[in-house]
Amino acid sequence: MNQSNVASESTRTRKRVVSKGRYKFPFALIPFFIFVTFFLAWPISTVVIESFKSNSNKWTLSNYGPLFHGIYLHAFETSIRIGLITALFGVIIGGLFAFVIESYAGPRLTSILDSVAAVFANSGGVPLAFTFLASFGANAGLIKLLKSWGWDLYGSGFSIFSFTGICLVYIFFQAPLMVLIFKPALKGLRKEWKEASTSLGGSSWTYLRRIALPILFPSFVGSFLLLFAGGFSAYATARALTVGNIPLIPLIIGNLVDGNVIADKTHLGASLAIGAILIALIAMTGYIWAQRKSTQWRR
Amino acid sequence: MRKHFILGTVAAIAVAILPAVSAEASSAAINYATCTSLATCGGMDALVAAAQKEGTLNIDTVPRNWANYGALIDLYTKAFGIKINSTNPDGSSADEINAIKTAPASKKPDMYDGGITFATGNEGLFTDYKVATFNDIPATYKNPDGLWASNYAGEIVLEYPTNLPKLPTSIAGLSDAAFKGMVAIAGDPSSAQQSLMSVFAVNQAAGGTPADITKGVNWFQTMKTSGNFVTVRATPANFAAGAYKISFNWSFNCPGDITASKATGVNLQCAVPTDSHLVGTPYVAAIPKSAPHPAAARLWEELLYSQNNKGFLAETLPSTKGKSGSVIFKSLMGGQNIWVSGGAAVTESAAMAKKGVLNNPPTQFIINTPGTTVTPTPDQQTAAKAVLTTQWPTVLGN
Repeated sequence: MNQSNVASESTRTRKRVVSKGRYKFPFALIPFFIFVTFFLAWPISTVVIESFKSNSNKWTLSNYGPLFHGIYLHAFETSIRIGLITALFGVIIGGLFAFVIESYAGPRLTSILDSVAAVFANSGGVPLAFTFLASFGANAGLIKLLKSWGWDLYGSGFSIFSFTGICLVYIFFQAPLMVLIFKPALKGLRKEWKEASTSLGGSSWTYLRRIALPILFPSFVGSFLLLFAGGFSAYATARALTVGNIPLIPLIIGNLVDGNVIADKTHLGASLAIGAILIALIAMTGYIWAQRKSTQWRR
Repeated sequence: MRKHFILGTVAAIAVAILPAVSAEASSAAINYATCTSLATCGGMDALVAAAQKEGTLNIDTVPRNWANYGALIDLYTKAFGIKINSTNPDGSSADEINAIKTAPASKKPDMYDGGITFATGNEGLFTDYKVATFNDIPATYKNPDGLWASNYAGEIVLEYPTNLPKLPTSIAGLSDAAFKGMVAIAGDPSSAQQSLMSVFAVNQAAGGTPADITKGVNWFQTMKTSGNFVTVRATPANFAAGAYKISFNWSFNCPGDITASKATGVNLQCAVPTDSHLVGTPYVAAIPKSAPHPAAARLWEELLYSQNNKGFLAETLPSTKGKSGSVIFKSLMGGQNIWVSGGAAVTESAAMAKKGVLNNPPTQFIINTPGTTVTPTPDQQTAAKAVLTTQWPTVLGN
């Protein structure tokens, strides 16, 4: 089929659609659909198929058995735990930062802080791990300085390579991300509401408790779920800081499908990936619900 | 007189035409994608000519600083004028198999160089080719039909900066309080072969046998409790950040690491631990059936397995213009000895030592103490992986 054919075909279709005033195909979104097909739908369907295949390429359910006990179940628990903990600290710290910036910073400072938050929110992975090693590692400057002041962090059981240490590192990209996604919600609080509350005799506390917090709550939940999904699935940061001592699902999937040691468990890797996708899907469904709730006040 | 003239003419014509005809016939008969040895590929002159006609060699997941590969790459390109396309140098064996399966035809790798289990599990992807020195490769680590064959292995060594207050010499000695917060491995033993072999090496030093690695795992637990073992990946960046000082490394990575870190003002040293001599399972090479440059791939394999103990490296090689392929090839340093100078244990070493063509290992980089080496069998490794998958995170987790 040549190009003019396509063009005339599409104009005709559009005319018909418009004249009937019904569904209009969004042609401008075609590049987006192509992108989603190649980078989301296709890979996911491949993983789904792989997860139901055996090494001899026959259909099987056996790849799903190991997900529910032993080390793989433990890894799911650990990943969910790290997602929940870092999301919780992320929304609290980031939320407070966002509130302070929104309330007290002038426009110029706000734009600077926005950029800073954007940089930090996207600096996860190896660079972030490197930053932390250089400042919090056993031989790092900050640790040595604290030790010279009499505070031996490592002596008291702290280690950047422990579960707590990894959580600390994650919060450094979770909190700035929270600032970025939560500020628009804070902006949505209208001055008029505060004034209306005050004129009806409400105190600041009443305003916060009866108006601001209920309105912000869905955004808060949504942000929490988004951060959870990020923390649950983070790969590069944890990989740089651990050698298999903390079993996290993304790392284990990596070992199985992309390693130098285990050659015959790619299908188990696929079924673990499906498990991870399902968990992310649950979080995202909640996020979409929260988004809808939170925007209803801004219409 | 006239008769002689005719005969002479016929003879002259025959002499002029015959070689051309036969040359044409032989080159038309050679299919470089299926020929299985130097002889059936038409000899070195024809192989070099065919490889030069292809002009390119694709290699995948081969880092230049890994086992002196950089020297081999430079030598091949300079000697034969064939460009080498290197993709995804830091990738894994699994990545390499994926590239052979899924890359577009012209971008597929011409060579597999990776773990043995990934080769034995994917024999259907490879074509049989026996290099000229095939008989010198130990039977344990080659496919009898030449689908794949081992090429080099590493020994587990300790790598450390020379300015430490105390220098480590043995694995048992690493538990000394002087090494608190200093010892690291290359990654998760369920993902990095080097780490898996490090656990075997430790197990050996702790009095275990390759059949049961529990003692090795327990040693790491003790070392973590004492704070000597840090669970950070031993990478150059993490070393620079001061996260660790001493790492378990492959011997063949020492020369590259030491040279690179010297440039940053840090003097590194490698030492074979006095209480453990662990040589890893060799890495194997294979030619994929789908190799887009089959002649160049075969020539590359011939170079990797060649045994010359004298000869040119890329820096010393004079112009090869006008020289025949076999003359050029004979003038080059053998691939096996290039690996030896990179600190690797090469697969043909026993045969080469017998012939007196095995060069000395680079003692300026690696302190060696003689001892009987141990190599875990593939079965022992499978058993170890099963133990590590469940025990490692439980024992070291928190």
